[in-house]
Amino acid sequence: MPFLDSLDPVFLFYASITGGVLAVAGLILLILGRVMGRDVAAVWDTYRGWIFMAPLIFGAVWLGREATILGLGILSILGFREFARATGLHRHWWYMGAVYLGIAALCLLEVMEDPRTGMDGWYGMFMATPVFMIALLVTLPVLLNKAEGQLQLVSLSIVGFIYMGWMFGHMAFLANSNNFFGYILYLVFAVQINDVAAFIFGRAFGRRKLRSNVSPNKTVGGSLGAVAVSMALPWLLHFSFPHFGWIELVLTGLIVGVGGQLGDLTISAIKRDLGVKDMGSLIPGHGGILDRLDSLIFVAPLFFHTVRWFHDIY
Amino acid sequence: MTSTEMPEGSAWTYEPAADRDQRLSELLQGFPREPHLWMYALRTAAALIIRAWLRLYHRYEIIGAERLPIGSSFILVANHQSHLDAPCLVSSIPLRYLHRAFPAAAADYFFKGLPSSAFSSIVVNGLPFRRKARGAASLVLCRELLRNDGNILIIFPEGTRSTSGELGTFRPGIGHLAAGSEVQVIPCYLRGAHRALPKGAAVPRPRKLTLCIGEPRSYAALPPGKDSYNRIAADLEAAVRKLGTDT
Repeated sequence: MPFLDSLDPVFLFYASITGGVLAVAGLILLILGRVMGRDVAAVWDTYRGWIFMAPLIFGAVWLGREATILGLGILSILGFREFARATGLHRHWWYMGAVYLGIAALCLLEVMEDPRTGMDGWYGMFMATPVFMIALLVTLPVLLNKAEGQLQLVSLSIVGFIYMGWMFGHMAFLANSNNFFGYILYLVFAVQINDVAAFIFGRAFGRRKLRSNVSPNKTVGGSLGAVAVSMALPWLLHFSFPHFGWIELVLTGLIVGVGGQLGDLTISAIKRDLGVKDMGSLIPGHGGILDRLDSLIFVAPLFFHTVRWFHDIY
Repeated sequence: MTSTEMPEGSAWTYEPAADRDQRLSELLQGFPREPHLWMYALRTAAALIIRAWLRLYHRYEIIGAERLPIGSSFILVANHQSHLDAPCLVSSIPLRYLHRAFPAAAADYFFKGLPSSAFSSIVVNGLPFRRKARGAASLVLCRELLRNDGNILIIFPEGTRSTSGELGTFRPGIGHLAAGSEVQVIPCYLRGAHRALPKGAAVPRPRKLTLCIGEPRSYAALPPGKDSYNRIAADLEAAVRKLGTDT
């Protein structure tokens, strides 16, 4: 078929494996629910969430660099908004506006050319944005002529911008790479596999609690199983980054396996502190944007700088 | 490591958005509303269109706008003849305070169903007032709103649109908000709305609209009580009537 032939083989692989997994999962759910009469309503919600999200992800990546950067920028904004609405920062327009502006600036820097080298994405300025944003945010109380309670707002804004904006922005910057499909689709896929592996191994071997005060459902067994699966995955999907040697493959496995779970626990710790169950309710069956992105936010910048160290990102 | 007690008031407090777990319909019907950027943007755009429409199509004129104590909280009280009344009164307030002007709107009429709730909350910024059951709870909501400086409440004390164009009797509910309170009440009279868009009509006719804004009144000296409530309602009714006949 000419359309399929026109697609990048890496893209085609991830699209078909995702489609296949979703089809099989749908079938299993159907059999469990209809034939065996099990209660699968909650899992259906989660499944429907994926049916909705998968085409969006592949659609944006298929459209290319600009669409991917825009899509990830929107996710960044929505993620920060969720964080702000969970902490109460959302009532303070100047801080919200400053962070929104910062995230918009990140998107622009990701999509524009580096004026010195002519390469896609202004790397130097992208890396320097925290300097300017922190300078702006700590100055806001002065500009507004307000002191009381402002340190909390400044701090929350900085965490929000650095974490949901800048760190997650590394993901979008990867869209400038020649190996764009391989990097981005591998990360999204591997992080989900890592989550699923933690869940399954946790069910099977999980006894000891991993971090009882942060996330009571996570176990040491589940966590070790997930790391093992994530360590194996780069070797299985080596075609996603054929230029990777064994060191890069091991590091990629560690970053996704360990980093992914740390990202999950990080957002859990924030949720616990705030006393909320989910960060939001935007994706039925999944909670909020941040409940879905938590691992990716942590993994993306670590992976980015590993790639850059060994191969540069272009 | 020693832990020291945090001095009172210096600890961080988080106040998550109250509508985080709500569905869209609940979010639109709820009050007070959490700030949503998309809502503010739509409301501002709608207000610009409404203000242009009133000025061009209805040759809308405002007399006495300088009497509004912008910056403090106050109550606008006016005669009620038409669906144009609330947009006209909101249009007398500077755009900067647009999102802090709340016309009290009957919950059983304006907040019924998703489309009308969306319009009433996003465009009108209405306060869902339960005029049948739980009127007292709605009054508490109004009082809380007025406690914050800069909030503006728009009330039509007749309780419903007049079909004849004549001013009806003011209900004493307004007295509950004004008696013993520093909040200023400003009587207004809107002329022409009955001819432009009477009750039951769907399309506005190009009739001139004029809003006369009266002198601010305060009922801080009156003690809360049934007597005061009735007196306040009567006083405001007379003031609005006078604005209607004088000008």
